[in-house]
This record gives sequence, C-alpha cells and structure tokens, in this order.
Amino acid sequence: MTTLLSTDHRPPSSAPQPSTPFTPAPPPILTHSPSASTLITQGAEARLYKTTYLLPHLPCALKYRPPKPWRHPILDARLTRQRILAEARILAKCRREGVRVPAVYAVDEGGGWLAMEWVPGAAVRAGLNAHLATGGERDESDAALVSVLRRVAAAVGGLHSVGVVHGDLTTSNMMLAPTPNHQGEEGAGLEGVIVIIDFGLASQSASDEDRAVDLYVLERAFASTHPRAEALFTRVLEAEYGGAFRGAPVVLRKLEEVRLRGRKRSMLG
Amino acid sequence: MAAEPPSTAPAACLETIQLEHVPPTYSVNVAVFRDVENAEFLQQQLLSRNTEFEYAFIDATSIISRLQLLSAVYKAITVHSGGNMKTPNIHSEIVWSLSPNNNISEAYRRYGITPTSQHIIVVKILLSPSSFSSPTPTNPQTPSPSTIQSHLLTHVRGRPCPFSDAVLSSFTDWPKVRKYYKLNGVGWLERMKDDEALRRRESEMLVLGSMALRGL
Amino acid sequence: MTKPIPNSTTSGEGREEGKGKGAKTKPRYGLGCEGSANKLGIGIIAHDPETNQSRILSNIRHTFVSPPGTGFLPKDTAKHHRSFFVRIAQTALREAHLSPRDLDCICYTKGPGMGAPLQSVAVAARTLSLLWDKPLVGVNHCVGHIEMGREITGAENPVVLYVSGGNTQVIAYAEQRYRIFGETLDIAVGNCLDRFARTLEISNDPAPGHNIEMLARKGGKVLLDLPYAVKGMDCSFSGILASADILAGQMREQQARIRKREQKQTNGESGAPNGDATAKQEVIPEGKEKSQGRSEQNEVIITPEDLCFSLQETVFAMLVEITERAMAHVGSNQVLIVGGVGCNERLQEMMGLMAAERGGSVYATDERFCIDNGIMIAHAGLLAYETGFQTPLEESTCTQRFRTDEVHIKWRD
Repeated sequence: MTTLLSTDHRPPSSAPQPSTPFTPAPPPILTHSPSASTLITQGAEARLYKTTYLLPHLPCALKYRPPKPWRHPILDARLTRQRILAEARILAKCRREGVRVPAVYAVDEGGGWLAMEWVPGAAVRAGLNAHLATGGERDESDAALVSVLRRVAAAVGGLHSVGVVHGDLTTSNMMLAPTPNHQGEEGAGLEGVIVIIDFGLASQSASDEDRAVDLYVLERAFASTHPRAEALFTRVLEAEYGGAFRGAPVVLRKLEEVRLRGRKRSMLG
Repeated sequence: MAAEPPSTAPAACLETIQLEHVPPTYSVNVAVFRDVENAEFLQQQLLSRNTEFEYAFIDATSIISRLQLLSAVYKAITVHSGGNMKTPNIHSEIVWSLSPNNNISEAYRRYGITPTSQHIIVVKILLSPSSFSSPTPTNPQTPSPSTIQSHLLTHVRGRPCPFSDAVLSSFTDWPKVRKYYKLNGVGWLERMKDDEALRRRESEMLVLGSMALRGL
Repeated sequence: MTKPIPNSTTSGEGREEGKGKGAKTKPRYGLGCEGSANKLGIGIIAHDPETNQSRILSNIRHTFVSPPGTGFLPKDTAKHHRSFFVRIAQTALREAHLSPRDLDCICYTKGPGMGAPLQSVAVAARTLSLLWDKPLVGVNHCVGHIEMGREITGAENPVVLYVSGGNTQVIAYAEQRYRIFGETLDIAVGNCLDRFARTLEISNDPAPGHNIEMLARKGGKVLLDLPYAVKGMDCSFSGILASADILAGQMREQQARIRKREQKQTNGESGAPNGDATAKQEVIPEGKEKSQGRSEQNEVIITPEDLCFSLQETVFAMLVEITERAMAHVGSNQVLIVGGVGCNERLQEMMGLMAAERGGSVYATDERFCIDNGIMIAHAGLLAYETGFQTPLEESTCTQRFRTDEVHIKWRD
C-alpha cells in the first residue's frame, strides 16, 4: 500500500549514492603488506582478513574493527580498544588453559586490530551440510556424525569449564582443523579437531545462566542450519557436555529453563 | 631485503629481513654468535651508551624460535613508528618486547646480554633502505648491512652462526623460558612430553600470546 | 460512496484532491484509540481498496504533562484519558468530516503499556463499539508503530528500531511475524531519558526527551564517561541511568561549591550576596580560579548540557550498534526508526551515517507519527480488519505485556 501523504515521507537523511558497492578500504596496518591480504568476512563491526604474520610463509587472521563515524570519537576509541583487548585476553586465556582457539600473534588495541593464528580446514557447518545433504533425520547409527557432535559438545564444555562464554556459538564459528594424522587429506569430511573461533562477543563468566544461554543459542542455531540432526545433537550435547566439568549438569538443568522461556523475557510495555 | 634466510651462505653472518606489514623504511638485520667470550665488554658498551653499539644484544638462552624474536622486533617497530616508545631506543624496545610484563629493567636482565652470556642474538634495525646499496657520498657513515657485519665481526668475539630455528633451539634454556613465560603451571603442556615438536610449537604459541598481551 | 473526503490531517496539509472517478469499491474507515502511556490519541484513516492508498483524515492527540521532576503516574494518566476521550473523539470525527456510521471498525490499543491508562481507553473504545454498533479491533501498540512507519516512509522491508518510553526493540520481519532480534534487558531507552530529565528537574513539556535533546545540542565540549552496555543484539540502560544520576549529583555539589566561593568573594568585595548563581555561571574567570585551592584547579566543570550530550551519545551509539548487528544478520540495508525517541534528530543522524556506510538509508517520521498517536492504531487495526480479524466484545481486554512477535501479520507476504 502506498501513501498519498508524500510530503510526510522524510527522505533518507544522508542518503548515499544508490548502488555504490560497499568495498571498504583495508586497515592502515595492511597498507605496508608486501603480500596480498584477502577480506574473508565482513561482520557488523569487524572485518576478518587473511594475511601473513612477519614472514610470507606464515598465514594469519587479522581482525580489524574500523572506526565508526557515527560514534563519538572518544567513545569509539574506548570501545574499540576494550573489545580488541577483551577478545585477545580471552583467546590467550583459552589457549593457556588448553582450549583450542586461535593463538594470539599481535595486538594493537589503538589501531583496532588483532592478529591471530590462521586456522586451516573448513567450518563445522560446511562439513555437516555436506554430510547431511542426502538422507533424512539422523540418529545414533551415524557414527561419523555422532563423533563430530561429541567433539563439538566437548569443545563447548571445555570453553565453559575455563570460565569463558562465547556469546555467538554457531556451527560457522567452529572449525574442523586437520590433525597431524589427517593432515592434507582432502574431503576428510567430519574428521579434525574442533577449534572455536570469533570471540568478538565472548565474555569471561562462570554463571550457569550465561552458560545455559550460550548452549541455547547454539542449539537454536543448530536447529535452523542442520534440522536433520537437531534431535540427535540435543541428545549428544546433553550426554557429552554433562561430563565436561563439575558444574555442567547444573547448566543443563538451567538450559531446560531457558528453553521453556526462550532467551527473552516478556516485557512490560 | 630477501625474506628467505641465507643460511646457505655461511660467509654472511648477518641476515636482513623485511617484515610483513611494516613500513619499507625499516629493515631488520639479525646475527647470531655462539660461545661469545666478551659478553661483559658488549654489555658495558650498552651501559655506557656507546652510540657505535646501538644494537639489541639478546641472550639466546631465553629465545625459543625465530618467530618469537621477530615478534618482539615487530612490536618494537610498531611502537617506534607510532611514536610511543617507553625505552631509550628501538633496540632496547626489542628487548623489552620479549617480556610478558611491564618491568623494563627486569626485561633487560632476563632477555638482554649479561656478562655471563654465552650465546647471543644481535638485532640492528636500519631506517631508510635506500642507503643500503650505496652509502651516499655526503654521509658515508650511514650504516649498511655490510658495515654492520664487519663491525660485529670486529667486536663480537664469538662464532657466527645462522639465525635458524635449529640453531636457536640448541641454545634454549627451557627451565628459564618456562619460568619467564609462566609455563610451569600449564598441565596439558607438561603432559605432552612424548611429542617434543608439538610441545615446542604449543609453547611458542603461548609465548607469543604472552608477549602480545604484555601489560594489557 | 462518493462522499468527498476532506483533507484535514493534523498537519493541515491536504493533497491528492478528488479521486471521485467513479470507484466501485467504497474506502474503508478505521478509527483508532491510543492511550497506552501519557498520550491520548484518536485518529481516523481511510484505506482505498481500489488504489491501495491510505489517507489520514484526522490525528488528534492530547498529552498528560506532569510537573518537572515527576513522572506520569498510572492513576493520573488514566484520569486524564477518561476526561479527554469524548472531546478528542468528537474533534477527530469533526476534522475527518465523518459521522460514526461511516466507520468500519473501532481500533484500540490492546497493549503493551501501562495498565490503568490502557483500561480507560479500552473501556471507551468498547463503549463506542456498542454505541455505534461497530466491530472492535484490538491492536498491538508496537505493530501500530511499525505499520505506520512503513506506510509513511515507504520503507519496504526495513530493520525496525522501536524506541520509546516503554520499549526498546530491534525488529525484522520474517514469515508473517515481526521478530524481535534484540531488545533492552531492563528499562526502555525513553524511560532512561525521561527519568534523567526528572533528575535534572527539567520540563516535561512538550516532552522530557525533547528538552534533553535541546540541552544536548548546546553541550559536547566534553564526553563524560558512562557505562556502555551492549550484549549481542540486546542492551541495558539502568546502569547508565544510575551513573548519569551520580554525575548529576556531583554536578550539584560542584555548583554549590562554586556558588559558595563566589558568594564569599562577592561578600568580600561588595558585601552583596550573589543569590542566583546558576549552572550557566560556572565558567570561572581565570583570575578567580587561581585564587582557589589546588583541588579546584583541574576540576572538570560538569554542566547539564554536557550530561545530556554524553547520555545521548552513549545510549544512541548502543542503539545504532545493535541495529547494525541486526542489519548484518538479516542482510538488510534499510532501517526504520519508530517510537517517541525516534524523533530525536541526533539519533536519526547517527543511524543515517551507519546506514550510509552499509550502502543503505534510514527512514524516520516526525513527531506526528513517532510519538504515540491514534492514527497508527487505526491503520494497523484496519489492516487486520481487512484480513477478517475482529476482537469480540468479550475478548476486548487489554494487557500490559504483549510481545510484538505474538501478532500474526496476516496482511504481509
């Protein structure tokens, strides 16, 4: 339905030139790079580049948080600094505690970037999609699938056990990194070590509520991307996560609560 | 300028490295000496601020790999180009960059040359690579890799060897490294005894993280 | 049909005169009653099924304004709505040049909102329905804002930021629901601003948020440090309000100190006390400043203007951030701002910069539609009515809690 009240339509303030493709300039840190950098993903507030660290043969992931022109510059600098630091600290903490995450190579919180180990392999999402492309609902008879789901649940359990919640757990944020035994095997399918990535929304927390919400977000994301393994994942998660650390059974009970109410509470108008 | 280690040419003891993501005006020159006999003299030159000895003299026993050393160099260059140095010069900044904490004098003691140092790594950062090939007639004193090499060979009484992981790992004093980078409490690392290469690599990752997050 | 439709919108701007080209289908008229907070609004909208166009015939509003330093209480607000309802309804009909029998339905706000005001308007709507024998349509207030915003701006499928005194939500449409991607975890952003206006004891007329915006425009010399509370696509404002209140308290102490100092000096010089030192006079001439103790030397002078500026910059940055995250999530580059806080031009400007960076644009309406009004209830109600929806009398309740995503948006694909 269109309106007759055409003057009521406030034209888009600061309307951009239409159809200008959005191609951001690389961050200052990459301007001196003798070898090419590739923009891998562009999230709402950070861009991920694949580049090299120190020498051309060492690939690295560079996460860059560009300045936000709409934010007050002082606030913008403060937030960028805090977030780069928080992510770097969490990665370093996880790594030290033996949770597989990308290692931190270099941090420039003022420049808004963080250089990390490049994790080879494919995302769990891609592996699962390929595996689930044919056939219907899966159950415990699919050994390869059960195995990878166990590793996923154990990885999340490991993360929680060291006091970190991820904030955005999806199968896109988990990699299947080749192990020395399966190195270079193309189409290794669901083999590999689970490496959790993208800690941009992570926080240090040991609260049952935060952990349960973390699991709930993963469960929902899993259900929408891999519906054929949804029920199986729930069963495997409950079995495997429950044994991951001492407080895990309590978190699973909390998860039942969160499932009932949803992530959101009902609000007052 | 070549990034490849010239380890095949034993005559040249100085490796010149152009690091990624660093302004091309900076070039990194690294030399390694074993069985050094005059460490006390070299440290004395630093303490007396002899400008002819503006180098980073690093005790090689605290170093585990090229990557670790170059990370410190990279950090120092970043700080230098940003104008945020907290120590007298870019070379002292390299020594401090090896430390996982903000204590500068402790960093000099732990990572810098001491009178008893046996094996050392020497780093010299040169600015403006245009002066490499031919010292300009107006300023013939401008240091170049070759003048640095001859200066080092003249004054460091030790055996030059390549700046390679193989050489560095033969110098590493692991108990010291584990203490400095607080790796002793890391249980999973200690349980990796059967796979020495993996353990070394995992340790290196933790060391890099500690250095990157120094004081943060 | 063929009743010529007069152009009597509240703006007084009428256009597209005379569409009497012998249309076969009669336009439908909906009357909307809104009273979920301190605004009582009644509006009449026409939907022309031939042309698919809608037309605002009237949009009348009366606001209950409480004295500075106070908020509007449910009991007083409900009383206000009861007292003004008949007058506003009559004006709306008169301006629309319609009689009750022309109407197709009576739409009212079912929720969410404050209980007592909602009830008083629901009772009044029920009365109209019985009196005129017209079906009732209960409307979700948030859906009303969204539909009116889309209608006015022409935004097709935007991510919606709904920001008002009672709500803070980031919404995107999918499969006949307005889905909530992010929202406040405690108080609404408008509530945060309103309550801070109370702390500063600035006027609630025409609206506390408007007066904060005016003060903020004069501030900006410094950005005072306030917490920033975003978690994924959710956010929270109560901690920020508490911190801003603390800063306001420090400002008052500072002002008192300065007044005392000035008084002492004035007494010393002329013996006359300076009785009306205000916040405006806090810039101390350098000579005087030097005579004070060291502790006063480097003191940052806090002003109400800078407080309002800092509060706006902080909470709006949070809103733009969660909106941007939702846009990235659903792959949209349009954003529509609705709700009372959506009038704020600084918020619109920031959102515009963000959207432009993403190659898109921001859509916003002015205070006639941003601020709670009757026409949005009429519009959303009539859209539902046209799909066959009615609210039977015995179900014509209202509810303080009514989530945006509970409504089946049958009129969209």
